[in-house]
Amino acid sequence: MTVSGHRYELDSRGVQSALEGVLPEPIHEHFVVINGRRWPPKQVLALVTGLDRADFTTHQARRALTRLGFPAARAARSRSHHMRAAQAAGPAASPVGGTGGTPRTLVEALRPFIGLWVAVRGDEVLVAASSPKEVVAWLAQHGQRAQSMFRVPDSDQAITGAAPQ
Amino acid sequence: MRFPFRELPAAGGGELTPRPVVDIALEGLLAAPMGCLLDSGALRTRMSAELAPLAGIELDGAPTEEFFVAGLKTGGTLARVNLTVTDGAEEFSWDAPVWFCDPWPHPFGLAGLEGFLHHFIVTIRAYDGYLDIEPQP
Repeated sequence: MTVSGHRYELDSRGVQSALEGVLPEPIHEHFVVINGRRWPPKQVLALVTGLDRADFTTHQARRALTRLGFPAARAARSRSHHMRAAQAAGPAASPVGGTGGTPRTLVEALRPFIGLWVAVRGDEVLVAASSPKEVVAWLAQHGQRAQSMFRVPDSDQAITGAAPQ
Repeated sequence: MRFPFRELPAAGGGELTPRPVVDIALEGLLAAPMGCLLDSGALRTRMSAELAPLAGIELDGAPTEEFFVAGLKTGGTLARVNLTVTDGAEEFSWDAPVWFCDPWPHPFGLAGLEGFLHHFIVTIRAYDGYLDIEPQP
């Protein structure tokens, strides 16, 4: 595909692997869902092309990524708008951890992150990472404040009770 | 202040039984309140030792103890810290002893008697899926 006058050979697997080990930046309006997470389209396209973000628009980035099969949507200002945007976005290929891109509850939003540390606010997962240090660093870097930080339990037994013996 | 029980996904699909969780912010780490499981059987309030340096809490030379939590032997270091809870509308802060524990593989901190329950009137409405906390006068 051509982005900002440069030609790139991109495929969905290459994009997915390029994002491994990277944390998504805060979502302002538009996002794409890759590897079960929401990403700002410009962050993704800049990462995989090496282009400066000023070289293309959010809509160009979003269009390029939906062409690769990644669902895209607009962050919910109102629930109905959010759902409509999701339904209208791109081809329904590329399963993304079962979230479908538009989780309706915190439970569904947390599902892709079982076993990881998360920071949440309302029904939104702000960030997920392998340690609280990474979560706190991300919050500080992006000036975000969470409602709660915890590790998403990987089993019922993990929180069956913790009384000292 | 009201806290709905925390709903969580189950690894095999569906949901885990919702749990009574209160989000407690450490002084120095207000942007990331730690989810703490309300535990009326726990004498102490405990959190992962990983959080202490993130909040700028010095643990060197502080009292330590070894104990078992959920069958796992762990070590705790005591620090007296300022804690804050908020439901978004109201906010309450208090000074309390917290034990920072290593290892701490548990998903949540523990809000126990000392450090948390001694400071609040707590009403648990498990049937309705929430708990209310009211700071002690």
